[in-house]
Amino acid sequence: MGDDQQINRRNFMSLVTWAIGGLISLGMGIPAIAYIIGPALDRTRTQDWVRLGPVSKVELKMPTLFKFTIQRQTGWIVNEEEVSVYILTENGRDFIAMSNICTHLGCRVRWIADQEEFFCPCHNGVFDKQGKVVSGPPPRPLDRYEVKIENDQLFVLGG
Amino acid sequence: MATRFGDWLDERLAWRQVWQAIFLRKIPKVNWLFTLGSASLFLAINQIVTGILLTIYYVPTPDHAYDSVQYITTQVTAGWLIRGLHHWGASAMVVVVALHMLRIIFHGAYKFPREVTWFTGVVLLLIVIGFGFTGYLLPWDQKAYWATTVGTRIAGTPPLIGDWVLRIVRGGEELTAITLARFFGVHIWVLPTALTSLTAFHLSLVIRIGISAVPKREE
Repeated sequence: MGDDQQINRRNFMSLVTWAIGGLISLGMGIPAIAYIIGPALDRTRTQDWVRLGPVSKVELKMPTLFKFTIQRQTGWIVNEEEVSVYILTENGRDFIAMSNICTHLGCRVRWIADQEEFFCPCHNGVFDKQGKVVSGPPPRPLDRYEVKIENDQLFVLGG
Repeated sequence: MATRFGDWLDERLAWRQVWQAIFLRKIPKVNWLFTLGSASLFLAINQIVTGILLTIYYVPTPDHAYDSVQYITTQVTAGWLIRGLHHWGASAMVVVVALHMLRIIFHGAYKFPREVTWFTGVVLLLIVIGFGFTGYLLPWDQKAYWATTVGTRIAGTPPLIGDWVLRIVRGGEELTAITLARFFGVHIWVLPTALTSLTAFHLSLVIRIGISAVPKREE
């Protein structure tokens, strides 16, 4: 744009047309992208203490399975979701709560009492009693929940 | 750089010739009424873009349709805008398409050699009305339900074939999940396919034949 290229009526109209077209495309495109990725960015997971049951139900030196349900809102649907935790105590006073979700790709692990280990059937991931990786592809130990005990009742921070 | 790439592409696609034929073609001296066709095209593109976006969240079943529409309107980022553009764009489309038709009638632009362009335009008008009729049911609220109850009942009024037509349109005797599903299918697959292909044909004829001038008073 300089002295050599003069702006005549035709060039001006063409420029204005492109500018208006660009503005409309932006005005449509930006909300469209926000609309598509919006719900993906929602992180409204609330965490609450969930009561699992009496401490006496936990077997000594043996991971014990507890199940609880939480309500989860996804889009316009409210779902009941079942969550499983393994509770382990070595001395009856200190408790650890482990998620049963394999840290490899999210399948569910189960406790094999004979072998004294957690086993994931999807890709043969093996964890020991404390949730540490023994063999297979899992990159880190089983996730843990915070635990607390009130009036001989076991609670985990879940949701 | 840009011109060199343009030349490279032009050697292979001849895009400058295409651009010339579509946007730089010669036209008689005309007025703003001649933009109604382009306005219809613009609104159609708006409906296609916003309609595709709406299908990302909308679910066409009786137990989810209303809730998913409410979710789009009140929860999704800019959902109110996308739905609003589709809703008002639909009304604008009917109005602008009708005005476009009136302009063609008053200027006598449907005459030789443009009869086929006119006939495709008539079918396009029917398609737009079909869009309005099927789209009105999709929010699945009281207004949608009863409007379609009445609308399909009207379709059932002709003698002899009326009852048969009513059952085909509703997919049964009553307005049910089947009705909602088939209206959705027609609205997002059948009609868009018909609209885009016929519009392409309509436009190719407009470009090939050229537009008619404003009629003169004498002779």
